[in-house]
Amino acid sequence: MKVSISWLKEFVDFNISSEELADKLSLGAIGVKEQTQDYLELDLTYNRGDLLSLRGVAREVAAVTGSKLFFSTPKQSDHPWERKDLPENLVRVDDKNLCPVYCVATIEELKIEPSSDEWVKKLKDSGIRSVNNAADVTNLIMLEYGQPMHAFDASRVKDKTIVVRCAENGEKITTLDGKERILDETDLLIADPEKTLGLAGVMGGKDSEVSANTKTILLEAAIFDPAANRQTSKRHGLYSEATKRFQHGLTRTNLLQALGTAIEMYEGLGGKLTAITLTGSLQDEAKTIKLTREKINSLIGIEIPPIEIESSLKKLEFSLAAQDSAWEVTVPYWRLDIQIEEDLIEEVARMYGYDKIPPKELKGELLEKINQNFFNLIYDLRKASAEAGLTEVQTYSFFSSAVLNNLAWDKNNLVKIANPISSETEYLRENLWPNLLEIVDKNLKAGYKDIAIFEIGKTYSPQKGDLPKEDYHLSIALMNGTDNPIQELYQIFESLKNSHPGGVTKDLTDENKYFHPTRFAALEKDGKQVGWIAEIHSRIANKFGIEKRVAVLELKI
Amino acid sequence: MEQKISKIEKDYSEKIQKAQSLKELDGIFLALFGKNGELDLLPKEFSKLSPDERCRIGPLFNAVKQELEKTIEVRRNEIREQSYIKLVDEKLDLAETTQIKQRQGHLHLATQFKKEIIDLFENLGFYQFDAPHVEWDKYNFETLNIPKDHPSKDMWDTLYIDTSKLGVEPGQMLLRTHTSNFWSRLMEKGQTPIRAMSFDRCFRYEAVDARHSHTFNQFEIAVVGENITMANLKYLSDCLLKTILGEEAKSRFRPKYYPFVEPGVGIDSLCVFCHGKGCKICSGTGWFEIAGAGMIHPNVFKLTGQNPKKCTGLAWGFGPDRILMLKHGIEDIRYFLEGDLKFLQKY
Repeated sequence: MKVSISWLKEFVDFNISSEELADKLSLGAIGVKEQTQDYLELDLTYNRGDLLSLRGVAREVAAVTGSKLFFSTPKQSDHPWERKDLPENLVRVDDKNLCPVYCVATIEELKIEPSSDEWVKKLKDSGIRSVNNAADVTNLIMLEYGQPMHAFDASRVKDKTIVVRCAENGEKITTLDGKERILDETDLLIADPEKTLGLAGVMGGKDSEVSANTKTILLEAAIFDPAANRQTSKRHGLYSEATKRFQHGLTRTNLLQALGTAIEMYEGLGGKLTAITLTGSLQDEAKTIKLTREKINSLIGIEIPPIEIESSLKKLEFSLAAQDSAWEVTVPYWRLDIQIEEDLIEEVARMYGYDKIPPKELKGELLEKINQNFFNLIYDLRKASAEAGLTEVQTYSFFSSAVLNNLAWDKNNLVKIANPISSETEYLRENLWPNLLEIVDKNLKAGYKDIAIFEIGKTYSPQKGDLPKEDYHLSIALMNGTDNPIQELYQIFESLKNSHPGGVTKDLTDENKYFHPTRFAALEKDGKQVGWIAEIHSRIANKFGIEKRVAVLELKI
Repeated sequence: MEQKISKIEKDYSEKIQKAQSLKELDGIFLALFGKNGELDLLPKEFSKLSPDERCRIGPLFNAVKQELEKTIEVRRNEIREQSYIKLVDEKLDLAETTQIKQRQGHLHLATQFKKEIIDLFENLGFYQFDAPHVEWDKYNFETLNIPKDHPSKDMWDTLYIDTSKLGVEPGQMLLRTHTSNFWSRLMEKGQTPIRAMSFDRCFRYEAVDARHSHTFNQFEIAVVGENITMANLKYLSDCLLKTILGEEAKSRFRPKYYPFVEPGVGIDSLCVFCHGKGCKICSGTGWFEIAGAGMIHPNVFKLTGQNPKKCTGLAWGFGPDRILMLKHGIEDIRYFLEGDLKFLQKY
């Protein structure tokens, strides 16, 4: 999130440069991706939805710099709708799990105009384009409170009645971006009694968009189920500042404050609040967690003085009730990420200062050994191969489309990727040698006259109902400029004997279509075939663009 | 002009049919399509033609050109197939010994680096543990406290396996996005205390460019036991940084979120390239980010059937490829897996 420094200063009284602030935040609170004199770009994490708002960031700034906040949580009676007796709009929410809170306010007598320079600048500094005064209020509020809002043109909403329901399979909507989208029953919709108005928490509909002629708006502030919202936004490829916030989680207390401020801003534009509906449970559950000194010290590894523990948490607006060497800690409503004692310990540790944790050696008993023979074997084999004059290559775990085409490989026996990035990542390799052939070709084209390479790596074969079988293979490819490279390859292989599992050779019974008609042999271990050595058939080599003779060996380790 | 073209076609078709070697065909190809080849020169004369003629000659020329190219290709394959037949006469005699050519061999840079790191941690009592590259969602995500449909799952762009023919529900099998599956597996096995490590391949749904690859290495350690603390994490971080970057290096913790650890930290190293003064590599800050780590989340203990009240644990992971790039001034990550001998034989 892009945080405008000058706007931030409306919320917290800090007196350090943007550079120092960035340092303090990244060491004590949250990563900073970019820092300029005008803004900070924060590296937001999935647990801290509260930091997707200026107020949330201001709280962290206050905590890490020891400065004062200019705002506090208002009392319920301060909300603008408490001042007068207002009628309600009709709202029907079908599924309280998918939409636990839905609020809508009617604001009349609005005049749609361009926003003031001040608003335009705030939005611009935050990386958002100004649209018009009515739409800008929703974005300003989202930036300040982290609560997304949406304004519908009330004249496009039948009977000013809102229905929050799941779509029917095949139902269609044209979203604000002008695209028609086909929905299914997992998509949550905002609708009126007759038609759809928007994809809940994802994007509004074109038809009910606020236009230059809009006089009355229905202002929506809601909480939608994060997982369902994520599914819908993923399926339609619609990601926005709003979906991000819905998915990170929102709180009721904050929603009501945001709605109150939004209404006041519309009133400032000449609008009149004429109706309001607040549905769902509007109170956040108070959370208390027990925190013990013992647990803090045993996880961090040092004794942190109780007074430091208390002051660390208080800076972050936790409240503590001390009990012996423990505390009953009440979590501020906006900290949805704090669930367990360890979460509190992280807060203590970062506020106390990670730099105060000294290095301590691992102690404890010697452990039961995990057998390392296989790892040692692989390393020894690599080392012996290099000592035999081979250059180690490592290739992708995939078969390229060139490999699959040139070898007309049977794809049925390959592990297939469901969502490949391209045709180059669609199938996992079953052997290593095809990838080595590609590398021989590449280096021949680069002018190499002698190519002796090897790879040790995993191969993959599918198994019904289970993970693929993964085996480590050794493969060697040799192009030594002669018409009979298998001769030297075999000698190289013999020289590795001390390190490989001790294969012997015998004739392969069936001819492989990739091999030279006579130059191939099986490699055996304990009477079982574990691999083969062969000259690659010239027809195959030619397909890869290789005009020279290449011998290859492949062995299961 | 038409006569000229058909004469070329006739003459060369014959020549191609008569050719007996690939070399001969190459000569014919050059005589036709090479610079100043007969077909290469012809279009220069088209300007002299009337528009009417040009309409006729153009398509004819193209057809002949394509036809001749195809004839050469067909003949090339015929000659090749003839030479393949002769392969049967070649013999295999593995008993006959030949001299092995003297070559300077090379271990891949990643293998050398791996050895260095593994040796260090073996001395600290760690053992390597192998885990599958193709993994269940359970070990890559679920038991690591990354539930289904949780937004934090978006931190990893994942390649999934097409399981339609395997009798497995879609979305359950994937290419592991980190090496962490080795310790979620170890924890589930109940082989505690754990002091284990892995240096191996991981995968992400990511287009390949100079700085990104869908296939990359990760080194990760996990320690589970009684009284494992963040102070231990600090010690192990310092050890590792000193080994891979030199004695001057030291670690710094920053708050960072990973669902499988709590507290979670990002680990910076003092920038050894400018001695902490600030340079291009560390963006002027004197530190650069190198690893992610933290204390294993109690949910991971519970999800793998362990008791978080009895043990604590730490995990520490980093991307060796990036460090190798920094250390050796390698500008393109693709060098590691694309087999360029000029690059591989430098080390």
